Amino acid sequence: MKRTHPALSAWAWLVYAFLYLPIVVVIVFSFNDSRFGATWAGFTTKWYGNLFARADVREAVAHTLEIALLSTVLSTLLGTLVGLGLWRYTIRFRTGLTFLLVMPIVMPDVVMGVSLLMFYAFVRGLLERAGWTFDNGFWTVLLAHVTFQISYVALTVRSRLAGYGRDLEEAARDLGATGLKSFLHVVLPLATPGVLAGALLAFTLSLDDFVVTYFTSGSGFRTLPVLIYTNVKRGITPDINALSALLVLVTVVAIITANALLRPRRSVP
Amino acid sequence: MRRPLLGALLIGVTLLSGCYRIAQTPAVKGASKPATPTLAVTRGDGKTLRVFIWSEYIDPDIVAAFEKANGVKVLLDTYESNEAMLAKLQGGGSEYDIAVPSNYVIQTMVRAGLLQPLRKALLPNLKNIGPGFLNASYDPGNTYSVPYQYAATGLAFNTSRYTPPTASWNLIFGPQDTLKFILLDDPREVVGAALKFLGFSANTTDVAQLRAARDLLRHTVAKRGFQGFDGGPGTRNKLLAKQIDLGQIYVGDLLIATEEDEHVQVQLPQEGTTISMDTLVVLKRSPNPELAHRFINDILEAEVGAAISNYTYYATPNAAAQPLLDDFLREVPALNPPAAWLTNGKLDFIGELPSGRPQRLYDRIWTELKSR
Repeated sequence: MKRTHPALSAWAWLVYAFLYLPIVVVIVFSFNDSRFGATWAGFTTKWYGNLFARADVREAVAHTLEIALLSTVLSTLLGTLVGLGLWRYTIRFRTGLTFLLVMPIVMPDVVMGVSLLMFYAFVRGLLERAGWTFDNGFWTVLLAHVTFQISYVALTVRSRLAGYGRDLEEAARDLGATGLKSFLHVVLPLATPGVLAGALLAFTLSLDDFVVTYFTSGSGFRTLPVLIYTNVKRGITPDINALSALLVLVTVVAIITANALLRPRRSVP
Repeated sequence: MRRPLLGALLIGVTLLSGCYRIAQTPAVKGASKPATPTLAVTRGDGKTLRVFIWSEYIDPDIVAAFEKANGVKVLLDTYESNEAMLAKLQGGGSEYDIAVPSNYVIQTMVRAGLLQPLRKALLPNLKNIGPGFLNASYDPGNTYSVPYQYAATGLAFNTSRYTPPTASWNLIFGPQDTLKFILLDDPREVVGAALKFLGFSANTTDVAQLRAARDLLRHTVAKRGFQGFDGGPGTRNKLLAKQIDLGQIYVGDLLIATEEDEHVQVQLPQEGTTISMDTLVVLKRSPNPELAHRFINDILEAEVGAAISNYTYYATPNAAAQPLLDDFLREVPALNPPAAWLTNGKLDFIGELPSGRPQRLYDRIWTELKSR
């Protein structure tokens, strides 16, 4: 084994400190007995109590996870199909289609948020003529998230497959596999890492999206990022720090458990 | 080959749904399940009131009491700037009943067709509002708006670090070069303060006066003590941590910190300062206008007005509520400027600027300061 150069490991520690120090600060201050968190005023766990008493935070967390999970499932299904299609078939407007896929990624969130808001208002106007109406909320946010997630999933799936030609699939067909079989046993396993990466990306994007959610959500429906950001004007209370600390804890436990459960098999795709 | 992958996926999903359930359970246990997402909402069922408001700007107990007394549900949504609120409403966002714009956006909202005229017959408690706050220039005759809460902009300091001899804009705009200070991250407040220091109106459209303010501000942000622009919470925290000497801040945002440290104080500069009024308006597309009026009338009750101020530390325009305020709020000078200040030009309501040249001048000054 080669020894790592001390400067290199020092650099690595610096990078980790840069990444994780802010999170440590948030966790430490969740135990600070000061409403404004400007100075250290003693140890307390009261913010955790406050947090569990806050119905608005509970609702926001529930909404955030509902939206993130459901939108990830939908966008992974749709995005994977788009990615596969783009890879497998020669379509007439392929460049145009790819361009349309990249657009939501490049476009500023504000533009997307406002245009979706106006689109929903337009649809509502049409529906109202037929005596129907709907309110912005769960469904409008869900659709908005799926809209920008599809691009990320489709592009990761397509780039995962980009290195492979159609020859593997053709070989499978030569050996007697049906279309479905060659898809399930050859194409899908090749694409799976891309699908999973896309799904994770989609989930993360949905979880912390503020701008698009702010514009497409409606009365009484708030996600966590919206709740936190709209509290900026008068100051964020330390119970939000407590919530962040809990989220970090849940994530760490989840990662450790997943690693522990997966270890015995040792075969990694 | 595929097994471990599938396993990983399953574990991931199970874990996720696990934390999801943890988060979900208390919400279900809670007394009222929040607005379930429905596609078809009956317009104006008279049972739900939707209020679009600044965060932490109303006492939750007041809302709960109103819900109970009227058998309705009140949904509060929050925004962090007038601009964000306007953008969402103009884009045809949700069907809110009430919004809480600052005085200088009201006419913009009227022109955008977002507001409906108030029905005074439904607002008998309007009589509680102090005469100085009715029929203001931003909304003559209170056609569209009712004053809710207001705060002047003051100079704050922490006496355990620095106590100014007198509260004066001179500390910031004058010759001293060493005091560490923060200015509000708001163009109208910063340019307005410079204009007040120079003895002009904070709403001036006079080019020569604006030039003088620009030169003064150029000089000010070049000082050694200038620590940048910040919002209320940031400045408040730096004062609590004794990191700065002076901060320009909305009075209400600072006063709430006295709960924690009585050494932080805020005063209105003797040259005068800016002030802005947040108002209650009923939106044109309000599904439940009667309920909205009932809510506004409820807020105009003396006890309710006092309770809200005791919660937010902002001043109330409700004259009948004054005697019911906490002693601290009734006595602190920054919330109780001399009555004459409202009429003699010391306190300027930040007004809407005529579009065109004046607005561009303010914008240009601000851009220059921020891009320094």
